[in-house]
Amino acid sequence: MLINTVILFLRDALPIFVLVVYLYAHLPASKLWLFFCLVAGALLSLAYINQIHIIGQWFDGNGIELSLWLSQLLIYLLTLVLGYGLTRVQTSYQYFMFWVAGLMISLTLVSKGSNFILYFDGYLNQSNVLQPLLLGTFLGLGICLSLAVLLYLAAQWLKQQFGPWATWSLILVYVTGQLVNALPLLVQVDLIDPSAIAWSSQHLVSDEFEFGHLFNVLFGYQAAPSNAQVTVYVLALLIPLAIFYWLKQRSASQSGNKQ
Amino acid sequence: MNKPVNKTFGCAALFFGLFCQSILAAVPEYHIQLKDHLFFPSRIIIPANQKVKLVIDNQDNTPEEFDSFSLNREKVIFAHRKAKIFIGPLKPGEYGFFGEYNPNTARGTVIVEHSKKESPDAN
Repeated sequence: MLINTVILFLRDALPIFVLVVYLYAHLPASKLWLFFCLVAGALLSLAYINQIHIIGQWFDGNGIELSLWLSQLLIYLLTLVLGYGLTRVQTSYQYFMFWVAGLMISLTLVSKGSNFILYFDGYLNQSNVLQPLLLGTFLGLGICLSLAVLLYLAAQWLKQQFGPWATWSLILVYVTGQLVNALPLLVQVDLIDPSAIAWSSQHLVSDEFEFGHLFNVLFGYQAAPSNAQVTVYVLALLIPLAIFYWLKQRSASQSGNKQ
Repeated sequence: MNKPVNKTFGCAALFFGLFCQSILAAVPEYHIQLKDHLFFPSRIIIPANQKVKLVIDNQDNTPEEFDSFSLNREKVIFAHRKAKIFIGPLKPGEYGFFGEYNPNTARGTVIVEHSKKESPDAN
């Protein structure tokens, strides 16, 4: 039970921590928005869990997979909005970005945090597992917090060196990884056909190892990705990067012309 | 003069037929029970290069998450509920799965073989 709880934290809590620290490093410091969106996300997770039996029956029993995949897609689209916000300098856009970031964290809390609530709800009533459950929670939280601090420092350093586009790129890589991770949800409910395995690096870094878990969270690493996952990953990463690079160049040349 | 029209109509009918065949093609079902945090049967033999449907019946009082790294699948199965998961087409080999909430006991293997050794609904 102790190890299970720690692994559950690595798989489901770490993505929340990573997104929070990336966004915290990316946006100008304000603790209040973070507090509000964490509370909103926790409340949304509880509401989702409360209705999960009903959601699960939607679309011929595929409601959970579809809702989780749609939330990942929405988080990805919000990341693009966040990138667009960097090309704007108006103050109103800066406030709008806090809302976007808050929504991203809330949706991540719903999709990842709901797994926790299910796990704890199922086992918290059993007195014999309470001690390892709490110990596992403290260990898991400790690991997640340590990694979060390291990632925050790395993100801050990147922002100081290369500007806010560096932290936005980190967020984009993370979100693209999560989007690609959600693709098998559509395959498992038979909405899209499975494609062949592109390669297997199982012997190098297995999905089951700690590094496999960590790389999976940071950039969507999979030891044996399908061709569809690789295609989606490359397109979802390169197209926005190319578009925003072009927008940045254009705005730079326009401001140069004005002067 | 009607020949091109007939050809187009014929092709459309052929594609429609193939489309319907792919939709209506029966996907074999394999049933797994989860009781006392154990999968039964813990070894499922399925045919190679064919999509199959796993129906998992959680008879425990706690939820469980069906998880498999090699199959790239994860699905929460609520207490006293059933869940379906499509897997395959797969190459011959062994693909492990486990219950994420009880990985020490809830473990199983999907064995993919070229020849179909047992009837799907026998499980």
